[in-house]
Parts: sequence; structure tokens; C-alpha cells
Amino acid sequence: MAAVETTVAPQAGAPGVTMLDIAGLNVSYPVYEEESVRAVSDLDLSVRSGEIVGLVGESGSGKTTLARAVMGLLTQPGRIDSGSIQFDGKDMRALSENQLRAIRGRDIAMVIPNPRSELDPLVPVGKQIAAVARAHLDIGRAEADRMALDMLKAVHIPDPTRRFRAFPHELSGGMAQRVVMAISLVCSPKFVISDDATSGLDVTVQAQVLDLLRTLVREHDTSMLFITRDVGITAHFCDRVAVIYRGEIVEFAKTTDFFENPQHPYSVMLLAAFAHNPTLRNKWHKPLASTEAEAGRACLYAPRCVHREDECDERHPDLRELGTRHLVRCHFPVERVA
Amino acid sequence: MRILRYIGRRFLFIGPQLFGIILVSFLLVKLIPGDPAVMMLGPFATEQQIAMLNTEMGLDGTIIDQFGIYLQNLVQGDLGTSWQTTKPVFDDLAIRFPATLELITLSLLLALLIGIPLGVAAAYFKRSIVKKFSDYYGLLAGSLPDFWLGLILIYLFYTVMQVAPPPLGRIDFAVLPPAPVTNFLIIDSLIAGNWQALWSTLGHLVLPVVTLAVINAGPILKMTQATMERMLESDLIRYAEMCGLPKQVVIRKAFRNSLPSIVTIVSVLYGFLIGGAVLVEIVFSWGGAGQYAVQGVLNADINPVLGFVLFSAILSLVIYLVVDLIYFAIDPRIRG
Repeated sequence: MAAVETTVAPQAGAPGVTMLDIAGLNVSYPVYEEESVRAVSDLDLSVRSGEIVGLVGESGSGKTTLARAVMGLLTQPGRIDSGSIQFDGKDMRALSENQLRAIRGRDIAMVIPNPRSELDPLVPVGKQIAAVARAHLDIGRAEADRMALDMLKAVHIPDPTRRFRAFPHELSGGMAQRVVMAISLVCSPKFVISDDATSGLDVTVQAQVLDLLRTLVREHDTSMLFITRDVGITAHFCDRVAVIYRGEIVEFAKTTDFFENPQHPYSVMLLAAFAHNPTLRNKWHKPLASTEAEAGRACLYAPRCVHREDECDERHPDLRELGTRHLVRCHFPVERVA
Repeated sequence: MRILRYIGRRFLFIGPQLFGIILVSFLLVKLIPGDPAVMMLGPFATEQQIAMLNTEMGLDGTIIDQFGIYLQNLVQGDLGTSWQTTKPVFDDLAIRFPATLELITLSLLLALLIGIPLGVAAAYFKRSIVKKFSDYYGLLAGSLPDFWLGLILIYLFYTVMQVAPPPLGRIDFAVLPPAPVTNFLIIDSLIAGNWQALWSTLGHLVLPVVTLAVINAGPILKMTQATMERMLESDLIRYAEMCGLPKQVVIRKAFRNSLPSIVTIVSVLYGFLIGGAVLVEIVFSWGGAGQYAVQGVLNADINPVLGFVLFSAILSLVIYLVVDLIYFAIDPRIRG
């Protein structure tokens, strides 16, 4: 504990205090008789209290692995090779399984993408909310049920008393997503990880659900790591945006800086893809196998990069600060053309 | 309301289902070579006597005529007579079916008590000794013949250690059996308050029940383990873990979601064991339904065979109805 407090003295709820601090995190999945697959490499990320940080990346970039590593619930056979995960002044990697269980759902809550396959099909949704409340708070059954009902109201589910007794299959996707939000927020957690939470929903429902999530998070002064594939969502939603590519953070900046002045070629391509800009999008290279990149010497993005130079194949770029708190991992950051 | 309509619809189909089963089994039994009249009258019967007996039994008509006669009798509750026991088949089965049901019901209960905890433990503790044991147990139970195990148990506990009663029927010859009400000896003993008979019945049940339970716990164990393993890896359980639910709650959740497959395998085993317990019945001279049917087949005694098929069919239909009702109770998705 002493080592932890050297950075910032933790004061719960005080703005600006680091809530989650990930440093030098490496996660890999061992492959039988082969070199293990690096899912997250040398990753630094911090989220201050009350802040919403977006984490954008394509599928397979390590977003979900990162989220699961924070929860201490990596899927077999994944493992954390090195690095530290500090949450609210606690070293998550040093905690026992029982201590972690007490934090999951209580202090760190997860909002998941496919609520209808992840909610228990045999239990009424109200009871599922109440079960999480009872697991973490020292309350009786009646009190837990009351809290669950309040949460259903808070997430704007119509006719909450009736929906309390509904089973997951009786709900629409949007409503099930609201139930998941109710579960994640029922214990008033300090930190919420939203893992691609709205990817299964229609665009209109998605907007409603996101608005609600942001309102609730702001109301409770909760911090959030908002993981998504949709860079567009982060513009309205997040205070800061991190872009992750093949397990590495390639750009990390305040949302306004990021959208006004994206500097990593990959970020530019992501934005182009969402801006439906065909000229830019057609420059997108197909991923090529690069032995240099595999060996860890080259820039991981080099095989797809439009601005690739010789240096990119020879030296792995570090994450460096270019603007004020604008971090980019690139030898030749993109200059904004006026 | 939904459930009543559902049961009603199921009952509507029972009639046609039974008719189909009777028709097919009647034709199949008729295909078995063997002339009951010859068997009944012995090797010295004259042609004339045989023909007379065939007429008497209604066996001289076409197969369709014979089926018509059988159905007519059946509607009046007459399943014919067994020429071996010289008693009405219905009366014989009324004793023998309870004998078999008592045996296999208790066996399956014990098999559940063995299979489910082992399966759940083996699925949860993946690298434990329990998992190893379960693997070997599943393999062994799947490869051992039940009658062989029965003989080994008889040798050990009756011949060598002399703690088990002799493997001769359901109750000691010296003990006065209770007045028959249901023909389930345990229930009848309880009704009559005949504790001596109850004790003797339970004693006689131990070895055959253990035999069948040990063998049939194998598939239950395997099914429980496989389903639980799948469940514990499922999105549902991962999410429960992310919510920080206590370990027991998570396991219970996984088990509740595995329950439908376990119910299925138990119902299949139950239906199978009505006839499938026959070798164990023979080893323990149980006098059960399977034994009765096999003797019928071997001796061209058609009526017991058809009676057995009919009883088993009705029982199977009842089992499947009960199973559906259990699904109804445990899975809201079916109810909805």
C-alpha cells in the first residue's frame, strides 16, 4: 500500500485524482508449442475520477482483453506478464480472488455488449439486479428488491414494477441493455467499464442508451472507461480518447485535441472511415505480414501505414508527448493541413 | 392456463400414439417365428389338436383379423392370457411392473446422488483429483456390464461377507408379504405397518439398486460434467463473475442452467431401464417386467410381450409428459 500512495494521495471522489492507473501492462495468450500471442503490450492508461476515457480500436486490438485484465478475469489461458494495475490506490494484481470479487460489481462495474446472452435466462431481471446489490451491500432481500426497482426507474424502463418480474427473453435489446446498466450501477461503483456496450443496438436506441449512461455516470461522479469500435461515439461522449492498435496505445489525447488534430496515421484512417471520406479511405492498406513488426523492432502499424518510411521498419516508436498531454506513437505524426 | 392447454393437447395425441405403438409391436411380434399352440401342447400333439387350439385362441384368421380381435379385447381391458403363467397378462403385469419401477426408480435416485455432485465437482475443479476420478468412473461405468457387476456384488456381499440377503426375489420367503395394494412392496409395507416386510424389502433392494445405480450414474455424471463445463465458460457465468457474485451463487446459477440436459438424460435412462434392467432382474431373480417380457418372447407367448410393450409405452408417454412439465417449471423461456 505504501508504494501506491507515493503518486497521489487517494481522496475518494475528489476531481483529478487518478482512479485507474495502468502502467506497462503486458498481456499474452500462450499458444501450444509456439510463441505466445501478445494481446496487450506495454500499455499505459490512466483514468481520473469523474472522467470518461474512450478506448477505440478495431476488433482483435486488445480492448476486451484490457478490460478483463483490469477485472482480474482474463479468459484462459491469458495471463498478465508484467505491468501494474492500480485502482483507487489498490494494486489489483496483488489482491486475492476473494478481494477481487468484492471489488467486481461493487467498485468496478462492467457494462457488456450482448445483454440477452449474458443475463440469466431463468431469473427475473429485477431479481438479478437485487442479487448483485445483496452480494455487495449489507442489506436484506426487501431492501435489495426496492433498490432494484429504483434502478429500473433510474434507467427509464417503462412500467418498472411489471418489468421487475420480466425474464430477459421478454425484453427488447435496448431494454435488456438498460437492465445491464441498472445492474452495473446499483452499487454506485466508482468506476464503470463499458465494453462495446451498444454495438448490438439500433442507432436510435444506441443514442438513447448512451445519453442515459452518460447522465447516470455524471450524476454519480463515476469514472468510466468507454471501450468502443465506433470512434464517432467518443466525440460526444468522452473527455479523453485513446486509440489502441494491436495491443498498443497509438494516440491518447483530450477529445477536442484528438478530433481537431489527430496525429497518428491510424487515427486519421479511423476518422476517415467514419467520415465516409472515400479518398482517404481508399488509401487504407490491407494488413501485410511483417516479420520486422512481429520481431518487435518495427512500428506495428507500418505494414498498413500510408506514410511509411524506412525508419518505421527499423525502430519501434515510443509513445511521446506532442501537444499538451497529446500522446502519439509515431515517427512521422500527421500534420494537419489547413 | 397455457400449461393446461398444453397438457390437453398432449393427451389428445396419446390415443393415436398408443394405437401406432400397438400396431407396430403386434406386427413385429407376429414376425417372430414360433407357434404358441405347438409350444403349449408339447411335442406329442396331433395336427388336429393344434388346429383346434389355434381356432380357440383366434390364431387361424388373417393377421388383420387377429389384430381386430386383440384390439376388441384391449378396449375391454383384456390383455389376453399368458399360457406360461396361465394368468391374465394384466394381473401379471400389475405385480411385475411395480417390481421393476420400484427397482429402477430407487436406482436412478441413487445414480443422481452419485452422478450430479461428482459431475459438478469435476466441472468446477478442472485440475483436481475429483476430475480424474470422474473421468475414470465415466469410462468404467460405460464399459462394465451391469449383470457382471451384480454378480460381483452378490459374490462379495452375499457369498463371502454374508451381509446381504440371498439374491432371490424382492422379499424373504420366510417373511409374510404385506397385503397387495399398489404392489410396490415399500409402499404396501408402510400402508400395512408391516415393519418386518419393509426391512426385508429394503434389504433385498440394496444390491440390485447399487448395481444399477453405479452403472447408470456414468451417463448422468458425464452429462452433468459436460453441461456444467460448457455453462461455466458461458457468457452468462462470465458476467456473473464480473458482477462479483459469490462463488456458491455462481455455481448454483450454472447448475440451474444445466438442469434441462440433466432432466433429459434421466428421462431417457428411465424409459430405457424399464426393459433394460432385465439382466439385473434375472441375476437377482427379481420377477420384474423385463424378465416377464423376455420369457414371453422366448416361448412364443405373445400376450405378455404385447402387454409389456403397451405398459412401457404408456409409462414412457407419462415420463415424457412429466419431463415436459418439469421443463415448464424450470425454464421461463418455454413458459413464455
